[in-house]
Amino acid sequence: MQPVLVLNAKTSREEGRKAQLSNIVAAKAVSNIIRTSLGPRAMLKMVLNPMGGIIVTNDGNSILREIDVSHPAAKNMLELSRSQSEEVGDGTTSVIILTGELLSVAEPFIRTNIHPRTIVQAYYKALDDSLEISKELTRTVDIKQKSEIMKIIHNSVGTKFMSKFGENLFDMAYDAVKIVDIEVEGHREIDIKRYVRIEKIPGGEIEDSYLLWGTMLNKDVLHPKMKRRIENPRIILLDVGLEYNKLESQTDVEIKQNQDYETMLRMEEEYIEDMVEKIVKFKPDLVITEKGCSDYAQHHLLKHNITALRRLKKSDSNRIARSVGAKIVSNVDLIKESDVGLKCGLFEVRKIGDEYFAFMDKCKEPQACTLLLRGPNKDIINEIERNVNEAMKAVRNILLEPRVLPGGGAFEMTLSQVLNEKSKTIPGKLQLPYQAVSVALEVIPRTLIQNCGANTVRVLTELRAKHANGKNQNWGIEGELGIIKEMNPENGVWDPYAVKIQTLKTAIESACMLLKIDEIVSGIGSKENQKN
Amino acid sequence: MFIPGTVALQGESTKNVRIQNVNATIAVANIVRSSLGPQGLDKLLVDEIGEVTITNDGATILGNLDVEHPAAKVLVQLAGLQDQEVGDGTTSVVLVAAELLRLANDLVKDSIHPTTIINGYRIAMKTAVEYLKTQLLIPTKSLGPESFINAAKTSLSSKIIGLESDFFAKIVVDAIKGVAIMGKRGPKYPVTSVTVLKSPGKSTRESVLVDGFAFNYTRASQAMPRFIKKVKVAALDMPLTKEKLGLTVHVRVDNVKNLEEIRKREAEITKERIDMILKAGANVVLTTKSIDDYNLKYFSDAGAIAIRHIDHNDMRKVCKATGAKLLISFADLNGEETFDPSSLGEAEEISQEFISDNELIVFKGCKTTNSQSIILRGPNTFMLDEAERSIHDALCIVSQAFESRYVVPGGGAIETELSVYLEKFAKTLATKEQLAVMQFAEALLVIPKTLAVNAACDAIDLVAKLRAKHHEAQTCEDEETRKKLRNFGLDLFEQNIRDNLHAGILEPLISKLKMIKFATEAAITILRIDDLIKIYPEADDQKEEDMEAM
Repeated sequence: MQPVLVLNAKTSREEGRKAQLSNIVAAKAVSNIIRTSLGPRAMLKMVLNPMGGIIVTNDGNSILREIDVSHPAAKNMLELSRSQSEEVGDGTTSVIILTGELLSVAEPFIRTNIHPRTIVQAYYKALDDSLEISKELTRTVDIKQKSEIMKIIHNSVGTKFMSKFGENLFDMAYDAVKIVDIEVEGHREIDIKRYVRIEKIPGGEIEDSYLLWGTMLNKDVLHPKMKRRIENPRIILLDVGLEYNKLESQTDVEIKQNQDYETMLRMEEEYIEDMVEKIVKFKPDLVITEKGCSDYAQHHLLKHNITALRRLKKSDSNRIARSVGAKIVSNVDLIKESDVGLKCGLFEVRKIGDEYFAFMDKCKEPQACTLLLRGPNKDIINEIERNVNEAMKAVRNILLEPRVLPGGGAFEMTLSQVLNEKSKTIPGKLQLPYQAVSVALEVIPRTLIQNCGANTVRVLTELRAKHANGKNQNWGIEGELGIIKEMNPENGVWDPYAVKIQTLKTAIESACMLLKIDEIVSGIGSKENQKN
Repeated sequence: MFIPGTVALQGESTKNVRIQNVNATIAVANIVRSSLGPQGLDKLLVDEIGEVTITNDGATILGNLDVEHPAAKVLVQLAGLQDQEVGDGTTSVVLVAAELLRLANDLVKDSIHPTTIINGYRIAMKTAVEYLKTQLLIPTKSLGPESFINAAKTSLSSKIIGLESDFFAKIVVDAIKGVAIMGKRGPKYPVTSVTVLKSPGKSTRESVLVDGFAFNYTRASQAMPRFIKKVKVAALDMPLTKEKLGLTVHVRVDNVKNLEEIRKREAEITKERIDMILKAGANVVLTTKSIDDYNLKYFSDAGAIAIRHIDHNDMRKVCKATGAKLLISFADLNGEETFDPSSLGEAEEISQEFISDNELIVFKGCKTTNSQSIILRGPNTFMLDEAERSIHDALCIVSQAFESRYVVPGGGAIETELSVYLEKFAKTLATKEQLAVMQFAEALLVIPKTLAVNAACDAIDLVAKLRAKHHEAQTCEDEETRKKLRNFGLDLFEQNIRDNLHAGILEPLISKLKMIKFATEAAITILRIDDLIKIYPEADDQKEEDMEAM
């Protein structure tokens, strides 16, 4: 009798324990890649992408994004750090390390045939309890005090490259977030993505970077004779071109006489003159359009002593609108006095390196801003950009949720100790996996110690001893020196509550998801192929 | 005898064909077996391009697999059917069908003709359904509102969000309650009125139920209001861009001045249209096409919200919810352009809300149907996809529980009760069909057995205990005790048996009815097959020869 082929012969299947173990191996492999990027003594990774570009970073998400993995479970891990990065913007490395560790402590249970569901149940129970416990450990930050926030930012981003370059980058990040922290119709909005632009210009020194109270554009004025410096300009923002467009419908003109041609040209000119006139009525000093601006229009604007810029991106245009208090006008017939932007203090075109940049600076109460980053080369600036982004997200997190937890592994160690104690009261099969969570949590302080080259066993046991009996809950690892240290509100490391909690939740939930898989079927044809 | 390229397995191979078919179905059932029940596990499916799906939904697993064997395909379709009709119980139906076939095959080996078995299975199915409908069902009224939550929990417990089943059961029941509409025969609870949106981030427990219809769009311009009360919706399937004649239309202008007129007209036509819409009372304008930035100002000046580039499916949902008519043109019968206010949809309010990094548009208090939206959160997209499937299953279950108004105890209770009953019934049959009915009874036990095995319990021991209890129920004189004993099912966490009605493990009646019916029909379909003829595509060289001959 022939064998019965139920599935396509190309598909491969991994079943039962083999599948579970291979998932664990894959997850561990991913977490090993970025293990060394945690803490103040983190190392950078240099990733070459297929296009030949280089990325130098120690941001978990940025590293993993570039890596091409094939194992499905590993892919899953990459997803994790991405959503962590989107949600809170920090902790991307910790979440991967923690997930990897949670899976690796589950391995012995799988091998001894404890049902994965039991492990999962215990993990969830541990998560519930951890969330309870962590509430008690929080400290509320006075968000009105800038220095309080700065301290936290300093520590949370302190592991990053930029920390070596002075305070002013942190100050910039803080101020930038404060600028975009506004109330919109009863809804508090801190939209960093849209309204804080980071402009990177290689050259100069990192210390030359600064925060612009307004916006800047990589543009020069249209006509060399237009003014390059205007104080308190009146700005009109247009979403319409100052040029003569072809009609939408296809039109042919049959010219029979010479004059007709003249009239046609005349009409085009009149059309533009009319537009410019309507604009001029509002006496702007500066006209910026998202679309084009013809030479003829330039000429007329120049005649009225108006400076013009053209071909802006929509996002830039929105930012300018918020920073100078203008409204974007999409039809010159409908310009109102209230649409004119008045809040800009200084318009100036400056030359940096080889390029011209238009600055709209010194705005009064801007609601959008630009961070101008300088640095020796592109790769370094890119890394600084990532760092500044993280710093801003950290500020945002604290402004929105002013609670913090002790960092440097102190929080994880406390949790670990409490869970360990609690596990003894749990009857039945759940006890061991529950306790395993407490062991897994120690991976954070352990990795911190490892990364600064201290003696892991000695320092970790020292820390464990400190935490024994539920005392000294704020003691953690001083990541530079690899010694234990108390995290006091004055000079300790404190991480935003939102980040820590998100890390825990994401790590445990996704570890559980991977544990619950008992079969991997790969090589399934996509639906289109099946049809063929 | 046959044209070349056709391969037939005939005569003495008839038996082989049946055995092959049965083996194939068992193989399919084995794939999904371990995903049944609250202690079931998930499957990770990877397709050719590396896309990953994590699931334990029987229909999804089988649908994604590249099943080649024709008999196995029948089972795959069976799971799909159950998914469409009931939404849940796809794994059970496949397991029962495969078990029916396996046991039928044993009978065939003992030289009982397949038609006899088919008859026996039919009789058994009818009897079981009859018994289920008359004796075993429990009206939800007698159980109170708790029963719906319990039904949702039972469905969810086997899923990826099983450990959060309390949380999600409440969301699901509230959602279904919120979409109730009065039909001719009692209230209807359409599952399609519940929209499920996914947004990666946060924990699954941060998922929320939004009262109203939500979708993933933002206002076309930031200058538009965030919030409008007493919403009138205009739904368009045409662009509000500058008017443009068809591709092949050329306008020939004699007088150059006219050119300018055309330009003005182009812009004006659209402006007139917008004015017309706004004048008709619309304050929310949706279009599947584009709106010129140039024209957005008219909307924001009028304090209206315009949303462009809406997906057709989403648009259909909005129209259904608000009662708006989707317009493809403004032309009326007189060749003029009008906008009929009756084509406007209505809602209490619309607002732009923030959930994580996403901006959502939420319609509340829609006129025609009461929409509800569930926004799922979770660590990554794979988990969200699976959570969406789970929520969908639970929604179906709860909606059926509401509509059919009857539930039955789950956890293998019904299957065992039917099995014991059929066994007793078989003994009253004095024909060959008796054997088939006995096998049918045996086959139903696959559900409690698999549940127990997946939970790492001693299946033989537990199922024996369970059968003993149900046998007691059959023989018991006292009506009250009998009713109580019937509800005994498995308790997979304590590895024991218990009264599952009391424990709140409930499933809608319809789900079980369909499961038994579909599984039996599918098994019969495969049993009837006695030959397999494969027609292979003609070989290429054959074709070439034909060509040459021509």
